[in-house]
Amino acid sequence: MRGLHIYIQVGVTALALTYAPQLNSYWMHVAIIAMFYAILSSSWSLLAGYAGLFSLGHMAFASIGGYTSALLVQWYGIPIPLGMAAGVVMCCVLGGLIGWVCLRMSGPYLAIFTLGFAEIVRITFSTEDDITAGMAGLHTERLFNTSSRLPFFYTAFLLLALSLLIMGLIVRSRWGLYLRALREDEQAAEASGVPVARFRILIFAIASGFAGLAGGFYAHYIGILTPSLGGLDLMAILVVMCVIGGMERLPTAVGGAFVVEYLLEALRAYEQWRFPIFGILLLLTMRFARNGLLTPLWLQFVRLGETRASAAIAARDVPQKDSSA
Amino acid sequence: MSSGTELVKGVGVTKSFGGILANDEVEFAIAEGDLIGLIGPNGSGKTTLINILTGHLRPDRGGVVLRGRQMGDQPAHIYAAMGVARTFQLTQLFGRMTVLENLLVPGLTRPHSSWASAVERARSYLEFLNLGHLEQLHAKNLSGGQQKLLELGRCLMLEPAILFLDEPFAGVHPRLRDELIKRIQELHQAGRTFVIVDHDTEAILRISRRLVVMNRGRKIADGPPAEIRVDQAVVAAYAGF
Repeated sequence: MRGLHIYIQVGVTALALTYAPQLNSYWMHVAIIAMFYAILSSSWSLLAGYAGLFSLGHMAFASIGGYTSALLVQWYGIPIPLGMAAGVVMCCVLGGLIGWVCLRMSGPYLAIFTLGFAEIVRITFSTEDDITAGMAGLHTERLFNTSSRLPFFYTAFLLLALSLLIMGLIVRSRWGLYLRALREDEQAAEASGVPVARFRILIFAIASGFAGLAGGFYAHYIGILTPSLGGLDLMAILVVMCVIGGMERLPTAVGGAFVVEYLLEALRAYEQWRFPIFGILLLLTMRFARNGLLTPLWLQFVRLGETRASAAIAARDVPQKDSSA
Repeated sequence: MSSGTELVKGVGVTKSFGGILANDEVEFAIAEGDLIGLIGPNGSGKTTLINILTGHLRPDRGGVVLRGRQMGDQPAHIYAAMGVARTFQLTQLFGRMTVLENLLVPGLTRPHSSWASAVERARSYLEFLNLGHLEQLHAKNLSGGQQKLLELGRCLMLEPAILFLDEPFAGVHPRLRDELIKRIQELHQAGRTFVIVDHDTEAILRISRRLVVMNRGRKIADGPPAEIRVDQAVVAAYAGF
């Protein structure tokens, strides 16, 4: 039975949504934060995993999206969803601009450039405390005026599902093929007729837009925003999520976010020692499973229900139908 | 079988790298139907010239005219869209993509192309190049000769008017080299224009209709292979035949 994994995913998701109200407030918060990270990790996977653009500025865009939305809501009293949309647009524009500025950069140069950008953003938000309240934190209006976390849970789920749907359509289209081609060899992609510069700018804009969306949600969920959202610590956690999960596939990047967020909570008793544990896990993954720890499991999962004959047919399917993407 | 219509023309192409003159006022016109062998010693500027004629490098002076249009600073993908395809001196494939996907990338950049038609065309070229049985393999897992064939296939997916092949025979087993030559000849017969750079003078002499020789960034000879073989300037500059 081909496509069994899709039915299983739909079933598990339906169960999770049905039984979500049974979760206590603490674990519901963990699940919401995991979904926030899942939007970030999947969009970073689009940028770093698919297109090979190893940007360290992704959390800075989450921060920009959050502050843009929070400040617009505070100053002009616009509805929160409109503020979040404005944050997304701002991040798309800035992301496209960063993509344009670093058109000729790749590898460590791009990483250092985007790291510099992230630090500029963080320090600006810290310093301009007349506007952002600096490290004291900007109090933001919450998306729902309720003590229950359930509406936030469903909203986070909706945003994650919508983000994955759009990103999934991108990676399964010819754009996805072009992105992977420019990851493999930009010069050869250009020689094959791919407008490399346009796609680099575009993918920076799109990925940054999703980061802005996640940041906007976070700002109106937590109720307080500090510049540390765009700091290197959280960026490192995001990288760990993607690398451990597997950054060349959206589902594994999402899985990485859930696994690492769960482990961060489960290992809380170890306090600061949690982070060296993740460091070691990252090193082991890079050494022994460069495609991520979840990738082999995911590949087994998508083959569930396939007979030998249907697997052979699937192998001859056109690539955009690759369900592992 | 040149029909005489000018396809690509390098006009006074000059390019230097850190004080080293790679191309010095090179004039190079390619007519439709040409099969040109571009030869010269190492460092004579052949690859630089190809990079410029395919839009991958900007000349310091001079320019490129493609189908009568001054190309200026147009990027390489515009050249590709106008029917200019190329391979690279060191094979540059999309290593972690399958053989089929390698062909789909250029195939899908063609205007009005659909997935179904691109897949169909890709499979027919893979059969033509004897790579059909390998379509689901990652390109990095192919042998050196198969990689050269795949790179040629990627060019063909652009439905190009002209193909620049940079050292297509380098490091290729003689049997695969003969297969490559056969495919090039068939494609030429079908009306494609070729410019082939290689150090394999035997292969170049076997297939070229016209030979262009470069030395120290300058074009020193241009004509039928029989004439070039006895050209004293060429013999002096380019030992080997």
